Amino acid sequence: MISTVTRIFAVAWAVWLETIRRKDFYVLLILLGSLLFALLSVDIFGLGSRIRYIMDTGLLLAWLFSLVLVVNLVGRQLPREEETGTIFPLLAKPITRGEVIIGKWLGGWSAAAAATLVFYGVVWGVVRAWSGSIDAVVLIQGWMLHVAALAMIAALTLAISTRMTYGAAATTAFILVAAAYTIVPRVPELVINERGMTLNALLVLYYLLPHFEVFDLRQRIVHDWETMDWGSFGEALLYGLLVTLVFLVLAWIAYRHKRFSRRRIV
Amino acid sequence: MALAIEIENLRVRYKTRTGPVDAVSDLSLAVKEGEVLGFLGPNGAGKTTTMHVLLGFIEATGGTARILGTDVRRSIARRRIGYLPENPQMYRFLTGYELLYMAGRIFGMEGSRLRRRIGELLEMMGLTAAARRRISTYSRGMLQRIGLVEALIHDPDLLLLDEPTGGMDPLGRVEIREQIRKLKAAGKTIFFSSHELSEVERVCDRIVIIHNGRKLVEGRLEDLIPEGTGLEEYFLRTIGREQ
Repeated sequence: MISTVTRIFAVAWAVWLETIRRKDFYVLLILLGSLLFALLSVDIFGLGSRIRYIMDTGLLLAWLFSLVLVVNLVGRQLPREEETGTIFPLLAKPITRGEVIIGKWLGGWSAAAAATLVFYGVVWGVVRAWSGSIDAVVLIQGWMLHVAALAMIAALTLAISTRMTYGAAATTAFILVAAAYTIVPRVPELVINERGMTLNALLVLYYLLPHFEVFDLRQRIVHDWETMDWGSFGEALLYGLLVTLVFLVLAWIAYRHKRFSRRRIV
Repeated sequence: MALAIEIENLRVRYKTRTGPVDAVSDLSLAVKEGEVLGFLGPNGAGKTTTMHVLLGFIEATGGTARILGTDVRRSIARRRIGYLPENPQMYRFLTGYELLYMAGRIFGMEGSRLRRRIGELLEMMGLTAAARRRISTYSRGMLQRIGLVEALIHDPDLLLLDEPTGGMDPLGRVEIREQIRKLKAAGKTIFFSSHELSEVERVCDRIVIIHNGRKLVEGRLEDLIPEGTGLEEYFLRTIGREQ
């Protein structure tokens, strides 16, 4: 058991080093800071609502940037290993494909979670610097649920990338996440007037795609609503864990007997 | 003497658009512990496919393969194997030291034992000065040498070397050959695939020649090659007869 954990952490450690040494995170961080300071310098809605507007925009950007980061980081792991041939020396070691899957997911997810913490820190810092206030408990709840959503997205992207190239996997993951985020919450309104195949298709979408809307506490943070009740908070985390596990198992099923061809090595 | 590699009636069949193709068919061979076996054949003969079965990358369609007594499908079979692929590819964002540290951790090594081993191997291969540099800055020869260090990090009993001197300059080839000789002297079993037949002649105890996935010849060099001819001539004649 200890050696399994050691091997998983060794793979995750390499993903962390890759994240630190690539420019993606730093570019997104500079972009977030620049956009927030640019918004602070223009008075769009008047002083009263400006901080709330900055906070809303900052958290929206934190969601978008963390999505870009996690999909790109996790989506390239397995396809790049195969394309460059690094998968061969890795699998020649006493590591199972399941351990590779979990290590890649853990490394990508935890690196994206840490980056998201920095993004939230920037938003909090800007709001505090301009005398605004954020309820710290709601902000922490918001970050934790955000990170739980990233765990699901990382596992979904990894599952897709077992059978696709990096570009195709990232595009598919973005489309699925966007569909889940925008369409799924509206299904209950849409099904009222639908019958037959359309109704069935909507219900399949509703139950098959993850409910990311449950994990988005931006409105609660921005409008100073009260803390989310801890029972519902725990249920949301449990749901996130279950969905993540389902995607990781699917990734393992797709990857465990995969044949690697040297013809694909570049 | 115990067997390091046992392959019996191995078959690997690929599906292609034009129908199934046997990359390896009915291959049987055994390598004793401490032996250096040259695994030869023209391009597409099935050498790398056989190695990939031994390493568990692909599952055989038929037959069995065991390494140091363990079925190759089990990941623990790879605990005592060191593998150097043809054109070794590594994580280019890591430094040489980090690559070796990661490899050591996967093999269950830690602490001062791992650090000492990394230091020894880097010294042995003349890579100490480059250890903290990113692998993306390494030359072709340095990549091959760091690949060999990675394969040796856990002091394996069996080494699988796929074209270890492929694409290297003469100096690099001599260096790798010397290391293989030292490993042989240390009692390591080496399964060695190469197109450099002069290298094979210098370091191998026995050879196996395969062609179109089938074994053509197996035996000791002195028993197979007639006086006055070399391995290259013998190899060309053997393959030529088949074609």
